[in-house]
Amino acid sequence: MRDPIQPMQPQQAEGKAASLPILSVGDLTVLIKNTLRAAPKLREVWVEGEVGQVSISAAGHCYFTLKDDKAQLKCVIFRDDRLMMPFEARTGLRLIAQGNIDVFDAQGAYQLYVRSLRPSGFGDLALQFEALKAKLAAEGLFEQARKRPLPPMPHNIGVVTSLNGAVLHDIRRVIARRWPLARIVVSACQVQGQGAAATIVAALRRISRWTDDETGRATDVVILARGGGSLEDLWPFNDEAVVRAVAAHPCPVVVGVGHETDVTLAEFAADVRAPTPSVAAELVVPARVDELARVNQLGARLNGALGQTLTSLRQQVTTETRALEARHPQAQITADRERIGNLLDRAARLVARRLEVDRTTLARAADDLPALAAGALSIARGELGRESAALNALSPYATLERGYSIVRGPDGTVLRDARNAKSGDQISVRLQRGEIGARVESVRDSTP
Amino acid sequence: MSDPAPNTGPTDAERERIAALPFDVALAEFKQVVEKLEAGNLPLEQSIALFEQGVLLQRRCEKMLSEAELRFQRLVEQAGGKVRALDLSLGENEESG
Repeated sequence: MRDPIQPMQPQQAEGKAASLPILSVGDLTVLIKNTLRAAPKLREVWVEGEVGQVSISAAGHCYFTLKDDKAQLKCVIFRDDRLMMPFEARTGLRLIAQGNIDVFDAQGAYQLYVRSLRPSGFGDLALQFEALKAKLAAEGLFEQARKRPLPPMPHNIGVVTSLNGAVLHDIRRVIARRWPLARIVVSACQVQGQGAAATIVAALRRISRWTDDETGRATDVVILARGGGSLEDLWPFNDEAVVRAVAAHPCPVVVGVGHETDVTLAEFAADVRAPTPSVAAELVVPARVDELARVNQLGARLNGALGQTLTSLRQQVTTETRALEARHPQAQITADRERIGNLLDRAARLVARRLEVDRTTLARAADDLPALAAGALSIARGELGRESAALNALSPYATLERGYSIVRGPDGTVLRDARNAKSGDQISVRLQRGEIGARVESVRDSTP
Repeated sequence: MSDPAPNTGPTDAERERIAALPFDVALAEFKQVVEKLEAGNLPLEQSIALFEQGVLLQRRCEKMLSEAELRFQRLVEQAGGKVRALDLSLGENEESG
């Protein structure tokens, strides 16, 4: 400090030269630097201001000024820090920078070496967030026990989001691919800015007031979604009315807001929290290929079960026939065989027809299904082939092959007794190959 | 002879009913049919009827899985407060926004 009363004279300066060293610019700068570094208040600084000019160097460091109506401050963010920040300094933004004051020797300038940046007002928002979170948690709004399971196969999926933007497209694309059997009903809202929270609440209510005219069904599940954005952009999802509307919604709600790292209170209240809107869409529907595999598996079990039934029936027929042969007249045995034979015959034809059906659906399914599932299906197909062959052996056709025929009366019943036919009746004769239409010429009753 | 007339398979009404079932109901019925048939102890006529019903249910499920197209609608509030769903088309090419 210069003394104003005793202006410095050259002689005095010379005279004091021995005790007062003349510093080089570099030495002085180091002195200033050490003084600044020693000041505890400057080591950890939080400073709020408006961003002035911003420039990014070739090396990737960001230089900008923070200013208010009284002063300005040079700031720098080194490349590595800058790339880690969720938030960029842009001219005109009001923000809070955190870092330490140091001197940049080469330019003789002190500056703030920024380690983190937050939007201005963050402190208020963070306080509001924590206070509301504590209040709603105390009411039990976020409790695990309140969370409802998602329906396994929703018919109607409500989606609350903006009509503009990629989010709705993404949700639609995911559901169209995985589960096109569903229907999406969009309830549009504003997802950021003034009044957004009220439109989200209204959109949720609109969904709960809707039912399908034809089926009377409401939505089975609701997705509330928004893409990534700044803390302020996501703020409507921390609004008390929105959080309460999510918790109180009549059907389960999946909330997918922003990116994985963004956390909002609406997500705490959701029945399921999804890290992103696309994941929310994945979570609410099953995958078509999984269900197709399940249906095919059931189909194989159906075939197997019928084969099983037929096999045990054949054994029963054999046993009963032996018992009958011992006690009953031949005619009765033949009649029973005929009846069983007819049923088995129909079963055989069904299975044979089924084989054809399976071949076409299998061909289609094979395109969609992973190779593994297709392999399982071809095994099922082989089993069907064997069953079909076994059934053919049981069929009355096997008897026809030996030269017997089946005669049916005008009403289609099998004729076993000549007394049931009369002259002039139209009858049909089933041979091994084909059928003959005939008329009864005469009836001779000969008791066996 | 007290034989019932030979079963001619599912009635038209049953076919129509199955052809209109939603997927989850068709799948649940299909599963029931398979389990019932697997449990056995049924008369042959009934086994075959179940089998035929199962085939119809399987076809219904497969058809829905392969042919369904996503319905995409928007809820609109009408005068009087009634909410209706109207078809919504976001052209696949207007990806921006």
